Amino acid sequence: MNNKARGFFGELPLPTFDVDPQVLRRRTRRDVLLFGAGAMATLAGAGSLLPQDTLTRLGLRRNMNSSGKEWLLNGALRIDDDVAETLYSPRRTVPTYTKSQITPLKNNYNGATPDPGYIPGWYLTLDGLASGVSVVLDIRSLMTRFSIHEQITRLVCVEGWSAIAWWAGLRFDDLLRTYPPMSQAKWARVESSVNLDASGNPDPYFMSLDLATARHPQTLLATHFNGQALTVEHGAPLRLLVPVKLGLKNVKAITKLTYVAQEPRDYWAERGYSHYDGI
Amino acid sequence: MPQLHVREAISASTLPERPGVLVAKRHHLLVRWSHWLNVPILLGLILSGISIYWSSPIYQHKPDPLTGNFDVAADIGIWICAHVPGLHHYSSPPDWIYNHMSLGPGMLAPALRLHWLCAYVFMLNGAVCVAGLIAGGGWRGLLPRRTDLRDAFKMFRYYIGLPLAKLTRRQWRHPDFNTKYNALQRAAYFSVPLAGLLSVATGWAIHKPMQFHSLAAIFGGFDAARVWHFWLMWVFILFVVPHVILVFADGWDTFRGMIVGWSATVKRSEVTANEQ
Repeated sequence: MNNKARGFFGELPLPTFDVDPQVLRRRTRRDVLLFGAGAMATLAGAGSLLPQDTLTRLGLRRNMNSSGKEWLLNGALRIDDDVAETLYSPRRTVPTYTKSQITPLKNNYNGATPDPGYIPGWYLTLDGLASGVSVVLDIRSLMTRFSIHEQITRLVCVEGWSAIAWWAGLRFDDLLRTYPPMSQAKWARVESSVNLDASGNPDPYFMSLDLATARHPQTLLATHFNGQALTVEHGAPLRLLVPVKLGLKNVKAITKLTYVAQEPRDYWAERGYSHYDGI
Repeated sequence: MPQLHVREAISASTLPERPGVLVAKRHHLLVRWSHWLNVPILLGLILSGISIYWSSPIYQHKPDPLTGNFDVAADIGIWICAHVPGLHHYSSPPDWIYNHMSLGPGMLAPALRLHWLCAYVFMLNGAVCVAGLIAGGGWRGLLPRRTDLRDAFKMFRYYIGLPLAKLTRRQWRHPDFNTKYNALQRAAYFSVPLAGLLSVATGWAIHKPMQFHSLAAIFGGFDAARVWHFWLMWVFILFVVPHVILVFADGWDTFRGMIVGWSATVKRSEVTANEQ
């Protein structure tokens, strides 16, 4: 086969050289030794990046946690959060579905489901407003003073499962327009004081939400699920529905919103998950 | 810099009275680097990936009335512990798979963190590999060709007959090809980068299912993209097993080739045949 017939995609014969056998032996020895050293270093370096629990299970008693390891692994989380933030656009909406595509949504309270006794006395507190005073709203005023929007969207859990559900509620953006946050605010701290841990003890849930995402047209303060008022399992009487974020940001039974300038604490970020959680 | 070695080596070998060894350049430096880096990266991705899988298994059934177990991978672990000698007293049979093929059960947060780190490094490494394939011209050797089906059949027949030929001590000729790889190798070495590309695409589809919802739609939506991502992992696992066995069967020259870049199993007659 000559070069013309071979064309651009045709395989070329491998380039060949005559090499002094002694030079060849020396180079080979050096490269193989370097390779071996590199392989050992990689094995040790990459192995130490494994979680401590895994290393302990493998029989390694020594604590391999170090500040460098944390820095590297958290760096990956930070880069991934930055990527997610770059991908976010207030104009890009998430897909919506038809009622026939609705799937069951399980009660995924992390701990015990709260006793519904809190619902009649429930109110929402707004803090960090431009007016400088706190505002307290009950569910009736939220539902009558704001227009209610419906959407059928997918809720995606960090664990990998998802559910398509029919929601209705007021837009977070409308609340922000009616009660503007203080000018330097970039974040909302979203809280639920009724959250419980697995043994039923109070375990207040708190979550950070950037105001850019709060202003997304599909970010709702949901009051209804599948055409009915929210039940206690789904965060009655008011939950956050932010479909551009993982489910863990969709706080149930919100009791307080605080607008702040600095990124507030986040329940799951403190447990090793990422901060931004944009999907 | 093996590219330089060979050049230096050539100048050394131009001394007229010294008989040289004929070597062929097989793998570009960047291809070799990315090849070996894939070992820890893929291991990290698989171990953390199965830990992530644990938190919401794709393959589930109705919860067992006695144990509450719904995970097929847990069933397999229970089966293994019941049937494999020495494992009858394993402390937690449903976790056997996760204890042996992942970082462990109940490790979602550390698994996700490690998975993102490995995934970004995997994408960078893929770019390094592509750069090496272009710089060294190696990409041409990976492309499928029209004769592949026939040649793959020849190789297949060779492998099928090989054990019997060895047992009966008969001659069993390896089919002759004048290409870098035979058709079976080419199919494998072409599929693996493709699987890498699809793993990255399905990974993004399930990692950012809202921003990349059109990408998820290509794979049949969010849930289907998770299934794709899971089975693409098995492409790597199923590739690695024969890959490692065959490289050892093929011998030191092939293994060394991926470290030093050149091969010494080139015959002078072949070179002249190629030059003509």
